[in-house]
Amino acid sequence: MTHDIFDVLQSIPDPEMPISILDLGLIEEVEILHTSVRITVLPTFVGCIALPMIAEEIKTKVGELENVETVEVDFIYDPPWSTDRITEKGKSDLASYGITVPDGASSVCTTHAIGVELKTSAISCPWCDSRDTTLTSPFGPTRCRSIHFCSACRQPFERMKKV
Amino acid sequence: MINLLLSVADDKLFLGHRNSDWTGIAPILEADIAFSSLAQDDIAHASTIYELISTINGKDVDQIAFGRTAEEYLCASIVTTSDSFNWAAAIARQFYCNHFDYIRLQRLGKCSWEPLASLAKRLTAEQAIHVGHVSSWVVHLGTGNEDSTTRMQEALDAYAPLGAMLFEKPDGFDVLVSEGILTQPDDFYATWKLVLDEVASSAGLSLNLEQIPDDFNGGRTGHHDEDFSASLAELHEVFSEDPSASW
Repeated sequence: MTHDIFDVLQSIPDPEMPISILDLGLIEEVEILHTSVRITVLPTFVGCIALPMIAEEIKTKVGELENVETVEVDFIYDPPWSTDRITEKGKSDLASYGITVPDGASSVCTTHAIGVELKTSAISCPWCDSRDTTLTSPFGPTRCRSIHFCSACRQPFERMKKV
Repeated sequence: MINLLLSVADDKLFLGHRNSDWTGIAPILEADIAFSSLAQDDIAHASTIYELISTINGKDVDQIAFGRTAEEYLCASIVTTSDSFNWAAAIARQFYCNHFDYIRLQRLGKCSWEPLASLAKRLTAEQAIHVGHVSSWVVHLGTGNEDSTTRMQEALDAYAPLGAMLFEKPDGFDVLVSEGILTQPDDFYATWKLVLDEVASSAGLSLNLEQIPDDFNGGRTGHHDEDFSASLAELHEVFSEDPSASW
């Protein structure tokens, strides 16, 4: 049954991006007790407005499986979700949509006394791989994405925020 | 503990509400999206803290957020002060509040009550983005032209006394410290001032901050001004139509 549940989770897209919630790294745990399933989910951002939709979708889809009677969805913040949880397939799905994911190699400018990232640079463009890019705004179309511009291919792109 | 949580959540609820005033009319498109996102972040953060309060007192989350009388709200005055649609004023208010909140959340992340500590750590990571953003706006305006520099400096001066009021302690705060639930670093105010000074001075701006006296009575202890009443009335407008409605 575990296998079936993961197949179902793989088929559920994030409401705001073309990526499966499994590839996005939202699923922390799946517990099965007889016919009851309890799924623990890590929100990308605190109080994200897509959470009720994700919960509803999981309940409906997993609930349609044979031998499943009840589905419970819990959201927890510990451990925190991070972009490191996104799978390789997830990263490539996002890249084809023009969204890049922090890879740990990007330089972070910490001129600030409390070490806050004021400017980001050297982020590679998902279209042409150039690192000649600039941060347009840390706030993009959803709370978890920022907006960037690539000077090499002259295209805007987005990035999952590093939290 | 409830008073402390209310002071954190109420700051975020009202600041988010104030920031949403800029949706559709901010100076440039990116700033418009940013302020709308900031508002969304702040209100989402507030709602998770109200949910945490609900686990303590068992009350309905909407009732906690919207069902209180004026003196039961524990936000500092600065979050409800009108910016009169002056962009520099909105940035100055945001500057004082965001840096304060960032340091406050870092400290709450070290508290001994695990549910709050883990939530606060998560919120700190998101708040870091706010801090970076508003700081870059302060630098941007401070190093712009003569007009923007003057306006930014005037706004920083105008909001300085209100910024200092963020440090008023809610009732029962000292008990949390003496019981060891919360650590109380002596340098909270100094750290905040140091960070603000660093950003402001890099843009040639100055700060005229003065610490509030220990016996100060303001928003954190339920003493509010007219701007608060106006904000609260606006915030309650829809809720009071039908308090039992499902959202």
